[in-house]
Amino acid sequence: MTNSEYPEDILRSLEDYNINIQDFMPGHGNGAKLLLDFNKIKGLEQVDGVILKGREIENGIVADIIIKEGTKIEDPVHLCFGVNKETGVQEIFPRIIAEDNTEVTLQAHCSFPNANGLIHKMFGHFYVGKNCKFAYNETHYHGERSGAIVAPVAYIYIGEGSIFENNFNLTKGTPGKVKIMIDIYAMKNSVIRSTIRAFGKSKNDSIRIRDSVFLEGENARSIIKMKAAARDGGEVLMYGITEGNAPKCNGHVECNEIVLGKGSICRARPFIRAIDPTSSVSHEASLGRFPQKWLDELQAKGLTEEEATDILIEAMLRET
Amino acid sequence: MDSCLPLLELKDIIIPTLDKKQIILNQTSFGVEEGSIHAIIGPNGSGKSTLAYTIMGLGNYKPSQGSIIFDGIDITNLNITERANLGITLAWQEPARIEGLSIQRYISLGIKNKTNINEKILEALQIVNLEPEKYINRCIDESLSGGERKRIELAAAIAMRPRLILLDEPDSGLDMIVIEDFLNIFNKIKALDMTILLITHREDIGMVADYGTLIWRGEHLLTDIFPKVMVKYCARAGLKEFCKRTLFDENGECPAFDRDYIDRIFREEGRE
Repeated sequence: MTNSEYPEDILRSLEDYNINIQDFMPGHGNGAKLLLDFNKIKGLEQVDGVILKGREIENGIVADIIIKEGTKIEDPVHLCFGVNKETGVQEIFPRIIAEDNTEVTLQAHCSFPNANGLIHKMFGHFYVGKNCKFAYNETHYHGERSGAIVAPVAYIYIGEGSIFENNFNLTKGTPGKVKIMIDIYAMKNSVIRSTIRAFGKSKNDSIRIRDSVFLEGENARSIIKMKAAARDGGEVLMYGITEGNAPKCNGHVECNEIVLGKGSICRARPFIRAIDPTSSVSHEASLGRFPQKWLDELQAKGLTEEEATDILIEAMLRET
Repeated sequence: MDSCLPLLELKDIIIPTLDKKQIILNQTSFGVEEGSIHAIIGPNGSGKSTLAYTIMGLGNYKPSQGSIIFDGIDITNLNITERANLGITLAWQEPARIEGLSIQRYISLGIKNKTNINEKILEALQIVNLEPEKYINRCIDESLSGGERKRIELAAAIAMRPRLILLDEPDSGLDMIVIEDFLNIFNKIKALDMTILLITHREDIGMVADYGTLIWRGEHLLTDIFPKVMVKYCARAGLKEFCKRTLFDENGECPAFDRDYIDRIFREEGRE
């Protein structure tokens, strides 16, 4: 498959996130890949140790991804869920299993550059076995018209001794209406790092994200970082939830949200719970503007307050 | 001090608290000569950092009286950005740690002429004795030690090529080996024709300075060549042996003044 056989505007949106287009094109680059054009599977490639299957359904696809036991792959598994239509419904049902002792990164990209009433839904189940290193990076681009309605849900089980990293980025373009729910269940000695970044840029942007970690196994540890900005009437609501339901577990929720311009709203609702005297769960949240000292430091380099704020937002939302 | 016009001149400055009910720094006038290192010394809480913030133009630090003249321009009513663009910058005592802001980006912010910007960033890192390849892509976040963060702050200030750098307690939290290195860096900055206003409560740090100003409990006591300011400070604090040890060479001589000078100043301060 060549670039010209795939909608150009979806590919361009990948470039905005500094993602190499070739990595997503079957027949090019390395790594397993699944490429969607609306609800059609346009490409599917497997590599040794990775089973990747897709099946088209009425309004979307069911995708099964299995990382076989002991498989350690350097190249990410690429998943591209692109839609260049203005309207329609795309429903994705991924079922992802990483067997014991695997190491893998999944790079998912959801691009809806022309969305104007388009609905994207995902209902994902992740099972990560014992002693795995599993990273899931998801970047979104919803065009410039605040016209997408996006509602992904993910249930994620992280097995004993595994490390799970989740990075969700919705920082380019205008998000539209976004409602995301992620539930992560962490077993004994597992480590969860989840970072969410979102930027609402107009009064038609409403972002609600609920990121939950349930520390169910002894000595499970987690950190949720939620970073957001709302500009020109945009609205962001972040729920950061951590429950320490086992002995010696340790969790932290951190939420930083910046409000820019009148009418913009940022809200943070951390919810933390501990039910064992040996567990520790904490949260911190800051909303509003950046600390004056940070602004002073940048202004002392000759930047105006507005320029300093832009630099700080860029840093806060910078993908790692 | 020379009779030529100073780069920075404070004229009868009074700095009140934010609620205007108390005075932090009273009736202060002195000048800072271009190309010099000028130390502001005084004990903790005497108003030194307040003075630096006022010169930089931070929002909560405004003089209720007097004026600040920089290179012949009255900057008293200019904001922090305008002052920075005239060539003043400040390196903070505890610089912020900002996740996601790379050292390269941070240093680049103050560089106006973007031609050969990467070379300028590398040069600034080298001046503060940091290996560029190890630092350039790191962030100014919690992963840096206190000393590293202060060096980055200095590098960012140097890269701006300002005419005046305000260094607010650059020695705080650093061990002696690092401080020695910092003193060398200050001399490198001076050699690049930048003027340094050094805020410190440590007399030994001030020894790198050409001139000094002593502030004591909100009062400006003296501005002179640094050794004389040092003697006055020690006399106020009752540190005669320390004073002699610091200022005299192995022959008991100090080129700045005769042997009797210290005794005279200590007598004046009632510290026989």
